[in-house]
Amino acid sequence: MPISREFKVGLFVACTAAIIAVSLAALAMGKGLFETVHTFTLSSKSGDGFTEGMPVVFSGFNIGVVHGLELSDEGLVLIRIRIPHRHVKWIRSGSSFVLYRPLIGAARIVVNTDNLSSPALSENVIPEVTVVNDINDAIARIEPMLDRLTKIADNVERLTRTLADPRGDLHKTLGHAEKITSNLAGKKSVLEMAVSDEESIHAVHEALRKLDDIMARLDGLLAKTDAQLYNPEGALPQVNAILKDVLQKLQKLDKTIDNINRISADTSEGMKDFRILRSDIDDAVAAIDNLVQKLDGVVGSKKMPELKTP
Amino acid sequence: MHGLESTGKVIISVVDNLHDTLIFSGKVVRRLLHPAAYNRATRNVLVNQIYFTSVQILPVFLALSVVFASLLVGIVFQSLKTLGLAEYFGHVLMGLIVTELSPLLTVLLITLRSSSAINAEIAVMKSNRELTALEMFRIDLVDYLVVPRIINGMLSMVLLSSLFSIVLMASGLLLSALIFDMSVDVYTNILLNSTSFSAIFIALVKCAVYGFFVTLIPIRFGLRATRELTSIPITVSRGMVNVFAAILIIEVLSLLTRLF
Repeated sequence: MPISREFKVGLFVACTAAIIAVSLAALAMGKGLFETVHTFTLSSKSGDGFTEGMPVVFSGFNIGVVHGLELSDEGLVLIRIRIPHRHVKWIRSGSSFVLYRPLIGAARIVVNTDNLSSPALSENVIPEVTVVNDINDAIARIEPMLDRLTKIADNVERLTRTLADPRGDLHKTLGHAEKITSNLAGKKSVLEMAVSDEESIHAVHEALRKLDDIMARLDGLLAKTDAQLYNPEGALPQVNAILKDVLQKLQKLDKTIDNINRISADTSEGMKDFRILRSDIDDAVAAIDNLVQKLDGVVGSKKMPELKTP
Repeated sequence: MHGLESTGKVIISVVDNLHDTLIFSGKVVRRLLHPAAYNRATRNVLVNQIYFTSVQILPVFLALSVVFASLLVGIVFQSLKTLGLAEYFGHVLMGLIVTELSPLLTVLLITLRSSSAINAEIAVMKSNRELTALEMFRIDLVDYLVVPRIINGMLSMVLLSSLFSIVLMASGLLLSALIFDMSVDVYTNILLNSTSFSAIFIALVKCAVYGFFVTLIPIRFGLRATRELTSIPITVSRGMVNVFAAILIIEVLSLLTRLF
């Protein structure tokens, strides 16, 4: 069945109107238009920074708005905030209220509640709002920098004034430099400019001349020493010859020592044989001694000692 | 002297034009409020007008809305993130994109699609003496031709702009999750906090005013056509220029309304 143009138009209008109506209703419900609203009153010594419609924030979420501002008989600013019923649980008797004025962005009242189990805040109680001001903080931080900049500017100014002063340090330094350059232009040498005394210059020249003589003599002495040491008949070749002779003799001595060592070893071996012979003789003497003792025993116990020899 | 004279002529022409438009607007508004204007013929024309202006282009309009909305929201969100102003995206989305750019883009689309068509249609009817024929049959031209088109313009603007805004917010939900890693609850909460009924009311009224003038001005310029066919493109061209001027004036006036 073909759909009529009227039906299509009706469907479009009805559906779109329904979508818009549902969106608006959701928005109204979301904004708590049909919800019970609780009003709390806060106080502040100054009304600076407070505006109607300012958001009330808990943990970064908007939970209400500033509904009205008025001045009390005591001169305090009374701030009336409206909190929807679903958000009133965040406002407790231990809650603190802070007016936060960021450097960028809108100011807001921040609710801090450490203990959510504490009793609900009574609408008759008027807590005080403390103020945190990023702008003032920024100014407070910038002030020392500005002081430093002012000092730097003063120093620069003083420096330029000193530079421009004809009796200032720079001009004195330049005057001294001019004197030095003029002195350099008038004198024959740097030494003359340094000591500025003719006698001293002569003394320095004399000392230098003597130093030259000393150096010449020293050169001659060294040449003679070289000749005595390094000539073919000098001291060093003779020492070399002596050392070679000593070396040859030492080699011969080495052989003799080797022979002595060998003889000593042989003697040591012979001494071992002597020890064995000695022990054999000791054994023989001990045997004879035993035999004699036995004979003594035999002979001594008989009235007529008679010995029968084998 | 000649320059001053030319300037004076232009100013007088603009003021006369504005005066005529306002007089014609008053006449149309009076007829809009008159129950007798809503006869059967008017209702039939209104249904046809809504069909051609809104229903017929709805698929294209929705597709364009998705593309425009994604681009706009994506660019704005990315810029806010880069600048470290992510916390203000709710205000930017509602205050700038939904209540300002959404009606503006919708009215531009409707102007390009329908206003030029209405202007040409009325101009052709005038050239072909169809309007004279209708008058001979004692048919009220304002009731039959103007009222249904004006109502269609206002209704279509409000409905299509609202649809555009809804598409925008849906795109915002998707892109906020992608760019800011934001949950639906947080997004909804930010939107609720950033939205005010007064701003929505102003946006809807602005849409209706847009719709009124982007159909009224083409009709008025279409009625200026002569019997010569060559007058048709001239009236269409002038009518469209005036429509764009009217859009700019309404935009400025709406901004001034927000300031005060």
